[in-house]
Amino acid sequence: MSVYAELAELPGVIAAGEYSYRGDRYNFKGQLEEEMARMASIMCRATTMAVHMQADILAANSGNSQLTPAQGWVVRGPGFTVCVVANVFCFVSNEAGSLNTVLAHMRKRLADVEELI
Amino acid sequence: MIKQMLALDGVLVVCHFRDDGAFVEGYGILPEDMMVRLAKFAHDYKRMVQGNADQLSMFTQMPGWTPPGGWMVRGQTASVCSVGNLVCFVDNAEASMTEVMRELKEAASYL
Amino acid sequence: MSSIDDLMQLEGASAAFSFTDRGELTEHRIADDSALTPEILDLLAHVFVANIAIATMQARGWENMTGQKGFYPIEGFTLVGLEWSAVGNGHCGVVLANDKADYEAAYAILGH
Repeated sequence: MSVYAELAELPGVIAAGEYSYRGDRYNFKGQLEEEMARMASIMCRATTMAVHMQADILAANSGNSQLTPAQGWVVRGPGFTVCVVANVFCFVSNEAGSLNTVLAHMRKRLADVEELI
Repeated sequence: MIKQMLALDGVLVVCHFRDDGAFVEGYGILPEDMMVRLAKFAHDYKRMVQGNADQLSMFTQMPGWTPPGGWMVRGQTASVCSVGNLVCFVDNAEASMTEVMRELKEAASYL
Repeated sequence: MSSIDDLMQLEGASAAFSFTDRGELTEHRIADDSALTPEILDLLAHVFVANIAIATMQARGWENMTGQKGFYPIEGFTLVGLEWSAVGNGHCGVVLANDKADYEAAYAILGH
């Protein structure tokens, strides 16, 4: 089973998907409409590009590799949290309190993915 | 060819980078290792701007944002600007950004 | 106790810090065994400000287009690094070891 499909089964996860770093391909599973998944992919791709650039700058300026390479990022709103590791995104309800579980699963399953393809 | 950009007032460095961010060639006052970093930054920044333009296009439902024609980041005394796969480092006091961007667009069209 | 002190109590906390609206470092604590420096924390503060601004734009756009609420206003951004995560919101941030990171707890402190 793909990582995004596994994530979609976890408690508190509303939807999960994967996107290509280049182009506009994506797959998803969960409570999202097709157009919303396409939008989510565009947004996650853009932020991932920015975060990787920032992490590279951090590493180049600090000589410190504790934070780099960037594995992913999390953005939290009042109701939902979006987690991204590598090219996989996950929408999580804050009510479930499952952010730690979701992120641990993503980091474990996507630990080997480093390159932006 | 791109070396001619240095003839413009205030242009201190010009670099050409590949679509994967690799440095192709560069001219100007910076040592080559710094030009390689400038090329990498310009490549990353180009992709980031592309991402933001895609989102602006998506959220506004308005044509004309993407693909972006280029970008400029203006600092207190210096600026970095880019069109296509070319990037320039310029001195604000000496350069006309309008002229630099026009010439960058022209030079990028021949690459 | 200040928010920075609270953040340093989190398990695996390597540093906690505060910053201005523009991302300039104002106050910080760094654990004795950490290789982090005030300069790195200053860069991280700028990363928070930049990404929270972009995420705010995304939340606005998303909510306008989909009608799905719950993202705006943004209540935090986290950079998940190789071994460490930097969690930030408002004017404060904390660096946590990934294997011990309690993101929920960090966001709870940062939300107050």
